[in-house]
Amino acid sequence: MNPEDVRTKLAAAGAPGIISIEPFEGVAARVKFDPTAATALFPIVRDALGFPHLSMVGGIDWVERYEVFYLVWSDPAKTYLLLSADLDAKAPHIETASACWPSANWHEREAWELVGIQFDHHPDLRHLLMPDGYQFHPLQRAFKLHEPEDLEVKVRHV
Amino acid sequence: MALTTLWDVAYFLASALLTLVGRVIPPLAAPLSNGDVIWGLSALVFGAILLAASMINTIMLIWFERKMLGRFMDRRGAMHVGYAGLLQNFADGLKLFRKNTFKPREADELGFYAGPIAYMVTSLLMFGVLPISTGWSDGSLPLSMLLALVIFSFAPLFIFISAWSSNNKYSLMGGMRSAAQMIAYEVPILLAVVAVVLVSGSFDLNTIVAEQQNYWFWGPLVLAMVVFAIGMLAEMERIPFDLPEAEAELVEGWNTEYGGMLFAFFMLADYLRALAGSFLIVLLFLGGWTLPTYVPSALTTFPLAGIFWFLVKTYAVFGVFVWIRAALPRVRTDQLLRIGWMRMIPLSLAAVVLAAALVLVKCLPVFGCIPSMGG
Amino acid sequence: MSEMWINMGPQHPMTHGLWNLRVRIDGERILDVDPEMGYLHRGIEKISEDRHYNEVITLMDRTCYVAGIAWEHLYVQAAEKALGIAPTERSDWIRMMSEEFQRLASHIMWYAAFVQDLGLMSPFLYGMRDRDLILDLFQSYTGGRLTYEYMRVGGVRNDVPEGFTHRAREVLDWLEPRFVEYDRLCMGSDIFRRRCDDLGVLKANDCVRLGVTGPMLRSAGSKRDLRKDRPYSRYSQVEFDVATADSADVTGRYLVRMEEMRQSVRILRQVLDWLDSHPGPVLADHLPRWLGAPYAPIGREAYLLKRNYPKGVGLSAIEEPHGEACAYVVNEGGEHPYRVKFRSPVFANLSAAHHYLVGYHVADIPPIMGSVDVCVGEVDR
Repeated sequence: MNPEDVRTKLAAAGAPGIISIEPFEGVAARVKFDPTAATALFPIVRDALGFPHLSMVGGIDWVERYEVFYLVWSDPAKTYLLLSADLDAKAPHIETASACWPSANWHEREAWELVGIQFDHHPDLRHLLMPDGYQFHPLQRAFKLHEPEDLEVKVRHV
Repeated sequence: MALTTLWDVAYFLASALLTLVGRVIPPLAAPLSNGDVIWGLSALVFGAILLAASMINTIMLIWFERKMLGRFMDRRGAMHVGYAGLLQNFADGLKLFRKNTFKPREADELGFYAGPIAYMVTSLLMFGVLPISTGWSDGSLPLSMLLALVIFSFAPLFIFISAWSSNNKYSLMGGMRSAAQMIAYEVPILLAVVAVVLVSGSFDLNTIVAEQQNYWFWGPLVLAMVVFAIGMLAEMERIPFDLPEAEAELVEGWNTEYGGMLFAFFMLADYLRALAGSFLIVLLFLGGWTLPTYVPSALTTFPLAGIFWFLVKTYAVFGVFVWIRAALPRVRTDQLLRIGWMRMIPLSLAAVVLAAALVLVKCLPVFGCIPSMGG
Repeated sequence: MSEMWINMGPQHPMTHGLWNLRVRIDGERILDVDPEMGYLHRGIEKISEDRHYNEVITLMDRTCYVAGIAWEHLYVQAAEKALGIAPTERSDWIRMMSEEFQRLASHIMWYAAFVQDLGLMSPFLYGMRDRDLILDLFQSYTGGRLTYEYMRVGGVRNDVPEGFTHRAREVLDWLEPRFVEYDRLCMGSDIFRRRCDDLGVLKANDCVRLGVTGPMLRSAGSKRDLRKDRPYSRYSQVEFDVATADSADVTGRYLVRMEEMRQSVRILRQVLDWLDSHPGPVLADHLPRWLGAPYAPIGREAYLLKRNYPKGVGLSAIEEPHGEACAYVVNEGGEHPYRVKFRSPVFANLSAAHHYLVGYHVADIPPIMGSVDVCVGEVDR
């Protein structure tokens, strides 16, 4: 599967919000899409393109914007596909993928707490790796290591 | 005075001690030579000897298990304290003695402390009943076997008390499992014992062993012995039936909250029960301290030969339990109870019927002709 | 007994690491589970942003402490793609050999811990004994037994020593009959089968839906193995079969891992033969000096660095012992990676815990979680 295949298949399925489809080493293609079209695009990628397995969801802080990327895998085509969307720097948010790929659940929780991307309609957006009540997003560029920080966090008692 | 029984030994020691004290302090000589005083002291000495013997045996049992498990696992077991690690368990015990005894804040004080002590005491009581050689206990206890089994079945009560009062969910679950398990396996054990009683015609352990002069009971009662051994395995809470303290899921089961000396009590009592269980198997099915008649008499007449052979048999039986522990995984609670209620009880009933039939058709002496069974 | 929540962890014999499985039970039956992670979170992805490319390798060993070299392999591949560097051929084979040895060590460690959870005591010691031989091999060419710091961007640190392949073959010859023993102790035991059959069932379509990979997925009949499907390193040049099972339960996962160990031995024999007959350099030439440790380029060098080393993004995926692991390394120029993101297979496998635990008994938790082969280091990173 190459970027042209991806383009034709996406067009045939009427996928909305595609910004660009470019080659990327190691995967079939990198598809840049408009985050507002996520709800409609994800099921198309899963069913029409045949990528039922979501490998990972990650966020990158580019300072002037955020990027969220999804790595999905197709068993018959034996290849990955990279989806990526640019998010607003002020209030980065995107529709959750966990309705389409349930495996996105924890990946999105992680991206939310570490990078600070809000996933709308996520079923269970709690802290995963950080303690409850943790105020910071460590993987943002503004979060510097070696800086004293207020570690007064509320720990839940169960 | 011939020192043939343990009571004689105790009496001799007590009277010697009192005479000595009377010599040193002449005014005490008269009151100390009173028969009641000597009797009382010799009872104490008797108990002390029993206590020391059972404790040392238990600790040696732990050493035996550690060494044997070590060999099964391709390692050497305890090696460093004493020759071949013989004193390792004494060192461990001393360490536990020195440890701080603590109690969870929310635990019930009475139950938390009384549970392990009562468990330990009842486990020790058993050794007052079980004879390990002729003349071990003075006089006959006509119902000694029943008494031993009654003491044996006290355990779930105390385990459950200590589990519940430690106020920990894991302890509670372990205690519940323990109670369910012990009650379930109590029944087949008692039924297997009924088979022995049918064949031997007595509840007295001394008589039961005496009845095995011609043939050991494992021959005619092989089914009863299998049921009894499996039931004992469950009563001792050893792998594959160690669910009450299954460390993978219940941390340490009903003794999760215990540390230091109280934990040592539990551990010791567990091995005391293991020792008592092995004793019972040897007494009921493997001829006690007797050897087959075709064995050269040199092997059976040396001093303390009865105790020696009894202990050899006991350790062999326990060795089988260790072997099982090294080779088998743990079963699950529902599987355990299903085995108990649906397999063991029918089997033990069959054993009783079989024993009754053997007695009725009077074919028991046949087993005396089979050399491997003792005759 | 009424319903209650119990915390299995963070200090609990079942967890094999530091995490907390909160379980809602009714008597002995599991009604709900909620894994709580993060006790071992060290922020490896964040620390990596402050490290030179080769310094990150040290962190990779700590990612999964039983499969350190597999994670090194994952990272160096991604970093090489991001930097546009190619490893030498021999180093690539050595890397593949290291990964297979690590798979063996990891699976043996898994076997030991798994049977221990079932109450089977002796095989734990057998497993540790046999794993030690592999660690000895690692020690002989990397110097480390658990944290190796062996791979480098562009190759590996050093070649294997004289006589290594011979010793490695001896170890393989010792291990192969051991697998038969392992099998006899487990599959030959009726109690083991009763405990593990039809336990923790997760069918193939559920695995795909929930992102579950590795032996768990293959035990459900799927043949997905990145070594076959998307060959990296030199896996396309060796012969091996993908181990699968159909039962999708704990027994199936056991069988898959056992077969994978045999296949690893098969791969390793081929790799050792290749290494014997193909000497060569193990580190690429003309590597930038700032890849290595504390060397901050200044002045003209820094300028050249910005100009000569184009930006790039590297993505790599390997079949780690636990499943599919991915690394995403962003190079924005400069001596530190801009962003490093890892996909941990156990992370995804654990996130599906609800689906393979609910409905079973408390006593089933250790074998089921054992069959998942949880390595908390790579979940929390």
